[in-house]
Amino acid sequence: MDSALIPEGVKRCSFGKFIFWLVVFGAVLLWGVVAMLLCWFKGLNQTNMNDAYGFALWIWADLGVIALGGGAFFTGLLRYVFAKDELKNIINFAVLIGFICYSSALLILAIDVGQPLRSWFIFWHANVHSMLTEVAFCLSCYFAVLTIEYIPLILENRQIDRVPFFHNLSHNMHGIMAIFAATGAFLSFFHQGSLGGTPAVLFGRPFAFREGVLIWPWTFFLFTWSAAASGVCFTMLITCITRKITRKRLVKQKVMMLLAKIAGWMLATYTIAKIIDTWYWAAVTAPSKGFTLMDFYSNNPLYGIWILVLEIVVCGVIPSIILITRKGRDSSFLFVSAVLLGALGACVNRWVMVLQVMAVPVLTFESWFMYFPSWQEIATTILPVAYGIILIMISYRYLPIFPQERELEG
Amino acid sequence: MKVGRRSFLSLIIGGAAGTALSPLPFKLMDDSSIWTQMWPWTPVPEDGEVSHVDSICTLCPGGCGITVRKVATMYGDRAIKIEGMKGYPVNDGGICVLGLSGLQLLYGPTRVKTPLKRTGARGEGKWKKVSWNEAIAEVVKKLGELRKKGKSHTVACISGADRGTVAQLLGRFLTVYGSPNFIRIPSIQDSYELTMYLMQGVQSSVGFDVENADFVLSFGSGLIEGWGSPVRMIKANSAWKERGKVVQIEPRLSNTAAKSDKWIPINPGTEVALVLGIAHVIIQKSLYSTNFVNNYSSDFEEFKQIVLNEFSPDDVAKITGVSASTIESLAKSFARASKPLAVCGRGHGETPGSLNEFMAVHALNALVGNINKKGGVWAVPDPDYIKWPDVKMDRVSADGMRKARIDGAGSKRYPDVRYLLDRLPDAINSGKDYPIEALFVAGANPVYTIPDSNAVKEAFNKVPFVVSFSSYMDETAANSDLILPNHVFLERYEDVPAPVGLQKPIIGLSKPVVKPQFNTKHLGDVILLIAKSFGGRIGDAFPWESYEACLKETLGNKWDKLINDGFWSDSNFRPAAWENAFSTPSGKFEFLNKGKAESIKIEGDKQSYPLILIPYDSMRLASGCIGDPPFVIKTVEDTVLKGKEIVVEVNPKTAKEFAEGGYAILSTPKGQAKVRIHHFDGIMPGIVAMPRGLGHTAYDEYLADKGINFNELIGPVDDPASGLNAAWGIRAKLTRA
Amino acid sequence: MKEQHKHTKAKKYGMVIDLDKCTGCGACMAACMSENNVPFKKDESDKLLSITWMRVYKLTNGKKFPEADICYLPRPCMHCEGEHGHAPCVSVCPACATDYSHETGIVSQIYTRCFGCRYCMAACPYHARYFNWWDPVWPDGMEKYLSPNVSPRMRGVVEKCSFCFHRYQLAMNKAYNEGRRELEEHEYQTACTQACPAGAIIFGDLNNPDHAVTQIAKPDPKHGGRPMNPHAFRLLERLGTNPKVYYLSSRDWVRRAGDNYIENESGQGNH
Ligand SMILES: Nc1nc2c(c(=O)[nH]1)N[C@H]1C(S)=C(S)[C@@H](COP(=O)(O)OP(=O)(O)OC[C@H]3O[C@@H](n4cnc5c(=O)[nH]c(N)nc54)[C@H](O)[C@@H]3O)O[C@H]1N2
Ligand SMILES: Nc1nc2c(c(=O)[nH]1)N[C@H]1C(S)=C(S)[C@@H](COP(=O)(O)OP(=O)(O)OC[C@H]3O[C@@H](n4cnc5c(=O)[nH]c(N)nc54)[C@H](O)[C@@H]3O)O[C@H]1N2
Ligand code: SF4
Ligand code: SF4
Ligand code: SF4
Ligand code: SF4
Ligand code: SF4
Repeated sequence: MDSALIPEGVKRCSFGKFIFWLVVFGAVLLWGVVAMLLCWFKGLNQTNMNDAYGFALWIWADLGVIALGGGAFFTGLLRYVFAKDELKNIINFAVLIGFICYSSALLILAIDVGQPLRSWFIFWHANVHSMLTEVAFCLSCYFAVLTIEYIPLILENRQIDRVPFFHNLSHNMHGIMAIFAATGAFLSFFHQGSLGGTPAVLFGRPFAFREGVLIWPWTFFLFTWSAAASGVCFTMLITCITRKITRKRLVKQKVMMLLAKIAGWMLATYTIAKIIDTWYWAAVTAPSKGFTLMDFYSNNPLYGIWILVLEIVVCGVIPSIILITRKGRDSSFLFVSAVLLGALGACVNRWVMVLQVMAVPVLTFESWFMYFPSWQEIATTILPVAYGIILIMISYRYLPIFPQERELEG
Repeated sequence: MKVGRRSFLSLIIGGAAGTALSPLPFKLMDDSSIWTQMWPWTPVPEDGEVSHVDSICTLCPGGCGITVRKVATMYGDRAIKIEGMKGYPVNDGGICVLGLSGLQLLYGPTRVKTPLKRTGARGEGKWKKVSWNEAIAEVVKKLGELRKKGKSHTVACISGADRGTVAQLLGRFLTVYGSPNFIRIPSIQDSYELTMYLMQGVQSSVGFDVENADFVLSFGSGLIEGWGSPVRMIKANSAWKERGKVVQIEPRLSNTAAKSDKWIPINPGTEVALVLGIAHVIIQKSLYSTNFVNNYSSDFEEFKQIVLNEFSPDDVAKITGVSASTIESLAKSFARASKPLAVCGRGHGETPGSLNEFMAVHALNALVGNINKKGGVWAVPDPDYIKWPDVKMDRVSADGMRKARIDGAGSKRYPDVRYLLDRLPDAINSGKDYPIEALFVAGANPVYTIPDSNAVKEAFNKVPFVVSFSSYMDETAANSDLILPNHVFLERYEDVPAPVGLQKPIIGLSKPVVKPQFNTKHLGDVILLIAKSFGGRIGDAFPWESYEACLKETLGNKWDKLINDGFWSDSNFRPAAWENAFSTPSGKFEFLNKGKAESIKIEGDKQSYPLILIPYDSMRLASGCIGDPPFVIKTVEDTVLKGKEIVVEVNPKTAKEFAEGGYAILSTPKGQAKVRIHHFDGIMPGIVAMPRGLGHTAYDEYLADKGINFNELIGPVDDPASGLNAAWGIRAKLTRA
Repeated sequence: MKEQHKHTKAKKYGMVIDLDKCTGCGACMAACMSENNVPFKKDESDKLLSITWMRVYKLTNGKKFPEADICYLPRPCMHCEGEHGHAPCVSVCPACATDYSHETGIVSQIYTRCFGCRYCMAACPYHARYFNWWDPVWPDGMEKYLSPNVSPRMRGVVEKCSFCFHRYQLAMNKAYNEGRRELEEHEYQTACTQACPAGAIIFGDLNNPDHAVTQIAKPDPKHGGRPMNPHAFRLLERLGTNPKVYYLSSRDWVRRAGDNYIENESGQGNH
């Protein structure tokens, strides 16, 4: 029925099946949209946030998707700046995932602020001292870059490509893509870093606070680094999932292994840096403010110190080892586990840096703060997932996302 | 016309660029920022010229001076802030949490806006608006019928006060109408007045020269929790921090205990024994004031023998749980202090308490000779500015006035006490004497404040005609047949004499700060109107044309000073010297207390009820005749009220089976309630402490249905000597919910 | 106006709260609410959703009966100076909706600028900032008592104690009208200070050696305003927030409760 739109030489599932899944995920999307509208029209009393949890699930989701979206900038950097040419075969998909992640982040932010109609004050009355200002500027700019990177992909749709104007536009855009990719990498470096700075500059919150160099706290670099590592893992993870669902190879194993090796080394170096950071923080920074490491974890009834073990050992050390060893990479089970853990690592880290920061009491006479999100928060957090799946479904169906697909499946 | 792809595209791109460069987006952005600041439902307070009015707060018996800030607007004056009046002798600029929230009462949803007549069942909340003429006519008709039947004595009136012109007008009306049943709301004032009468032979209030005391021994009084005039006491407490000591004796670490220099936990209800134990040490070590004791007291020898024989520190230690050495050192510090002062009356002072205890504490003050002395206990004569001619009674009223009071005050059994409101429900319910046919309530909320709520409700249901003069829809108003709403204190003139516990006579004047906001009427005027409708001797007793005229005439030459300064005080006042301070038969201070340290037995047996439930008071919970306005209830901690649930304090040892914040069923012989548990190390094991002031059923949605009214779980216990309520607690148990 | 201020000496308004005197009566909370048009809801028992610019905390010493002790601690905004005015909350606000005034030392909050990102709340360790989760609603007729000096806040923005800044403005207006540039100590006092029946709150200019706050707290300018009065301390002094609210207590455990210490570490607030 829609075969005219499907890229030439590839096979896609029936239109009915496609529509069925579209409706399924569309329903989830709709649920999120309802929650979103409730938040906009009735206000943030629809959430379970409170004055202790001014930052909660959404900010975590925000930081999380941005970290996971980091695959786009890093792959772009490798492809265009470091000229890892093979990566052109996965860059489209990385850009798509990045686009989904960043648009989701912006959407969540628009729900999260108390006065969405005034969010532009962040630009108009910008405070150069604020990490959020930096985040806002870089995030918007980088989103614009991702849009520019995504547009030529759309233009490659069989029908659109027939229009000479679009064909030429697409062609010209490809030509200058390296510049955008480099700009994107630069911007991304800064906003990932600023996001890392966001909790770390909170010198009133000893759990979050980190020392650093010049104006940049250590987490500035740690966040950028971990986003690169985890983002790439996430891109590979989604590629694996897409392969599984479509039962197609889509990308050559060589490309994946190259990426996996790079991700492995990124993750390994990150994990080492993170361990040093944690040690210094636990041994020097926190005690100078009157806290021991265990003060930060002792009273959490759910996970306590185990979340630190999860973050560093399970999601750091283990996947690093798997990904940097050839054997590990070659075992498909180990490989998938590793990219999954690698992606999870950044999410756990962002969780800790947002929610645990809020939970730890700083005044000696306050106790631990507990929070569980409301359905509206959960629905709006799942909304981007449904949106992402839908966008991948549509893009995969109608756009030549995987250049090697025809060759591999032909 | 065929639009080419190219031109279509140019159109779109051009349009977008054009729009972006036009002022439109900027205008929209600007509008959005303005619009989000100006949501129509966010009020914009109207500005205007600012002025201030000095007045008196009457929300509690504290009688603080207040200064109200107003703005004049097109639609009339708005009162925008209540502050403490600088230089006022009671509170000098300070103010309490309730006084600060007064404007929420003035403008709040709890106001009764017009006379109301009940249409549904009692307490159902169905009302009909009636005119003032109709309302007054209805009262006159009912009272007239009763009087015609010779039943004038079956009318009773519960009043929040008995001093000042409004209360006096009420009392005067009742007298000339022919009923002896004017009843004031009970408090520790009753016990203190009785103590003064029995030991010093004077009919006067008690005043404490707290500002000058330097060693305060408090037997459970909530010195900074609403006892006496609250703001004044808190101020005094700050002064003690600089030059003085406070010792607080009570089983629970109250705020007063926490702020004191020494907190001595004591087995509840055994205070008398401790007082006499202290007296024992003082007498035995000859630390007492020999001048006072030898020259100005009688019965001392008898008192001494009993105290020495029966109250040795060791014996007292066994009863009270306070060690003998503590008793000794306490006695020494008290007697050796230059201006010691002992006070009693628990918490806010709403329960009159055991007369025995009051007299013992007063004897302690007498031992150290601080009666009518700087820093001591003073007999403060009732202000005597109300000098109206005696009423001329007709035969009906004379007959009515000869009848015994329904509450038993002044009877053979309780000869000296003036009012016994806590006994009223039982008197009505038992039907022993005579039925009450009509009940008037002014400045009081007995349905909420009298212990044993079930009995109170039953009694109310037996009275066929209940009239409330309340400004607010409180529990009593909600359970009445007719409401004749008074102005609130910010809308009316009223004299406010003698703030409770003040050591000098002063009169304050409440002034209308704003015009009456609703169709309400001054209670004074309503009494005049009712009396005038009767005419005859009743009408003649009220010769004034209006309440304001009555007030001006009564205050005479004090009026101008009151209008200008806000208060009048007798700067020459000194308490009577010992030579002529005592009007007892002996002409001396009488150590009448025969040393019987029988503690008041509380209700319930130990087997079924292993624990003891005691109430506690807090400045943040108004437990008198007004309920917490929204600001005040907002200040209540979540260890007191959680959602709609009341939280009780229990020692972790006693509450082992209950988790912090967990649920339990608290039962007493009087009732049971679901509560939440707060583990509190500051309370003696075996005791459950419950806040007073919650569990309102009336008022507004900010206060109603939150927690439990303590009075639902406790009943009154008659003091064997006075007949006043002396219940300091009740036996209780906690079971799993 | 700015021009004129250059001629006046910079102020550093601050507070001393005497915890020995504070009775926990809550008058300061109500004074603040009525002075500053703070809204209220039907249920205010969830203290994490209850706007209280001034909040009185109840501290316990953690000991068993009868050694247990409690102390009340009123907590307005600390008007942190941080380093050179970089209060924890000020430097993070992306929209400059909260600012440190070097003229007065007051940390302002501009409700109409704030867009509700709540970053400042995450930054403030004192939980002095409150978010308007709901529209403020006054029962019919009650909006009559709202003060015209302080604008009611709209849903979705953050608010906090302003040191009753409008009182400063009114006092300055009056002074200027009378041809003065400087205020007397009594001319600018906050609503909570004025109301406190215990006289536990003292307010004034920490730069002025004649003001009671300075004489009591004895801030040490060489050590970032650390109090030299041995009974005085500030909350979380170790974090470097440099707050301008000082507390007094004669009880060791209370002073120690002002900051975090590692077990066996000595120190009590300021030493
Ligand atoms: N009648 C009349 N109207 C005028 C003018 C006039 O001369 N006459 N002048 C006009 C001019 S030029 C101006 S600039 C405007 C000024 O008018 P507005 O912009 O209204 O300025 P203000 O009245 O000075 O203050 C506004 C509000 O900010 C609050 N506020 C003060 N400090 C702080 C703070 O630190 N944080 C927060 N969040 N709030 C604070 C004040 O309490 C007040 O409620 O008025 C205009 N309107
Ligand atoms: N104490 C105090 N000082 C303040 C402020 C404050 O709130 N308090 N606000 C500050 C602010 S925001 C501002 S903008 C300034 C405002 O301060 P100013 O600029 O002094 O404004 P106004 O006080 O309104 O005085 C303007 C003068 O212009 C005159 N005028 C009116 N119309 C005309 C006209 O058509 N032609 C001419 N030639 N004159 C005219 C008026 O009569 C008046 O004398 O004040 C600042 N100073
Ligand atoms: S203490 Fe009583 S009289 Fe004084 S302000 Fe408070 S409520 Fe009013
Ligand atoms: S008003 Fe004064 S005494 Fe009362 S809680 Fe506040 S600071 Fe403490
Ligand atoms: S107390 Fe909190 S809100 Fe106030 S200045 Fe300090 S960090 Fe900012
Ligand atoms: S919530 Fe408002 S004041 Fe706070 S950081 Fe965001 S914009 Fe600034
Ligand atoms: S200084 Fe003013 S704004 Fe701050 S807590 Fe006190 S009354 Fe409230």
